[in-house]
Amino acid sequence: MAEQRLGMVIDMKGCIACSSCAMACKIENNLPDENWWNRVLTVGGENRDTPSGTYPNLSMESMTLACQHCENPACTRVCPVGATVKREEDGVVLQDYDKCIGCRMCIAACPYTGVRSFNWEEPKYCLPFATGDADVPSHQKHVVEKCTFCNHRLAKGEAPACIEPCPARVRFFGDLNDPSSEVSKLISSRKYQQLLVERGTNPSIYYLV
Amino acid sequence: MTEKIKPANAQSTQDSQSEQDVQGVQSSQSTQSTQDSKKQASLVAIIVTAVIAIAGIALWIFQLTDGMVNTNMRNLDSWGLYIIMFMLFVGLSAGGLIISSVPRVFGIRGFGAIGKVATWVSICCTVLAVAFVVVDLGGPLRLWELVAYANISSPLMWDIIVLTLYLIISIVYLWATIRTDNGTGSPKVLRILSVFALIAAVLVHTVTAWIFGLQIAHEFWYTALLGPWFVSSALVSGLALVLVVAAILRKSGRLELENKDYSRMVMLLGVFTAVDLYFFGCDLLTSGFPGGTGADIVALLTTGVLAPYFWFEVVSGAITMIIAFSPSLRRPSLIVLASVISIVAILCKRIQLLIGGFQIANIQHATVSSGPALSESGQAFANVAPALVYFPSALEFGIVIGVLSLGAFLLLLGLRMLPLLPANLQN
Repeated sequence: MAEQRLGMVIDMKGCIACSSCAMACKIENNLPDENWWNRVLTVGGENRDTPSGTYPNLSMESMTLACQHCENPACTRVCPVGATVKREEDGVVLQDYDKCIGCRMCIAACPYTGVRSFNWEEPKYCLPFATGDADVPSHQKHVVEKCTFCNHRLAKGEAPACIEPCPARVRFFGDLNDPSSEVSKLISSRKYQQLLVERGTNPSIYYLV
Repeated sequence: MTEKIKPANAQSTQDSQSEQDVQGVQSSQSTQSTQDSKKQASLVAIIVTAVIAIAGIALWIFQLTDGMVNTNMRNLDSWGLYIIMFMLFVGLSAGGLIISSVPRVFGIRGFGAIGKVATWVSICCTVLAVAFVVVDLGGPLRLWELVAYANISSPLMWDIIVLTLYLIISIVYLWATIRTDNGTGSPKVLRILSVFALIAAVLVHTVTAWIFGLQIAHEFWYTALLGPWFVSSALVSGLALVLVVAAILRKSGRLELENKDYSRMVMLLGVFTAVDLYFFGCDLLTSGFPGGTGADIVALLTTGVLAPYFWFEVVSGAITMIIAFSPSLRRPSLIVLASVISIVAILCKRIQLLIGGFQIANIQHATVSSGPALSESGQAFANVAPALVYFPSALEFGIVIGVLSLGAFLLLLGLRMLPLLPANLQN
């Protein structure tokens, strides 16, 4: 077993779909235009921010979706040059832009729709200056990228940028292998679900339901 | 078997030579001039295909510099026409090697003088398959990493290794065949080589299938049947291509092929088509029977947006089998028809597999997408044929035409420079 298994717990009962986490991610990582590593999904409704069901029996629920940092990732196995790897020490799935040959095999292999994105052109930015942390690797044309759990922040002992700004305080980050961590306690005391468990990837993102 | 076929070949060569002798002196001058004009036509064709191929390379450089945003591939359909063509051409490469190696391996009667041309067609198709992967890459200048950082657990890596081996074995096999036919090579070595060629051929189709078939992400792809199914599809399209090439060479008088051999090949095409459709049936039943999400895939193919491709494949398969199995219908024109629709049917199958894999998203909740799902031109087409997740852009078609021209260039160059045809008709 890896020493650590870093993971996230997201309380769907409290998510208010404000997209603060998505924006924080975008700013912190200086994401190019139209590129989102973390997004808010409306569960059930046909469009964003619409309820599911028929009046008066309506319900509305939201969740956020980013790389699931699976314990058994489908993407790392298929990369022909090992540009995407799971770091053994903490289980974070990383992407090396300098190595990626742009074959997009990892996108085809990942069961979680849309969490990996390819830069189809030279990255463009709506702002004339870069945002976020200077330690974030610069974005490249024709490579695949995705959520890194803010690897540059992990190196400084900080949690990913999407955790803190959540106004509803429903995002938690920590070591799932440590039974005393906040995330471990939450999933031992609350009902949770992981996405697409039947695919056997064992994602490290837990959704409290 | 080699001993058996050689005298037969020699016999036919002698026959045609004596036929030419009988035709006499007066016609030899006109034959000479037709051959000259034929030679000139082939030179023109070689130059034209080379020019189109170079134009294709220019388009490819544009794609790399201006960005793959000019294709209609996006994050939710991250592969497109290039990978469809890659699958098709790996399959098309099957025919030639099978036609020339299987009879040799099992010591049964061959299919006449078509063997070497067929092997050359195979080699050209393999080169094109590699080319289609290269044009799909975002960073072709990083290709050296495949050697430096090879990740052996990747099915794509397996395919790169097997494709390379396959290409080398095909070339060595063709060289050995030419030598043996000249009487300088050893038939025994050739037979051993043909065994390896056959194994490599079966492997290359299976491993190509595994690029898709081992992905748990896409329910449509994830089936153990995909390997054998790719082999059967490869046999259908590959043999059909050999039949088309044979028909063209026959018509232009550059190849003599007995009607009997031609008929045997088309019967084989019928058998392969039956097996391919049988696999498709098995797969659809296994997907659809439990209901659930597998039934959505069956519906997508039979009544959904991919239905035109699906039904074309089924109907053309039925027509091919009727032509192949009815002695009275095995006429050259109908055989060519069956072959052409068989190749198109397998193209349809590749389209269904690729687009079908991306069409049904695993997570369908409403959200912003990271990047648009379709480009503007893709959107314009989507208005005509709504709900298809992907349709190629003009640039993609342009590059595909360029790569195809490269193939035609190689094919014609080989026919001109290599001793692929019986000597008396070569010139």
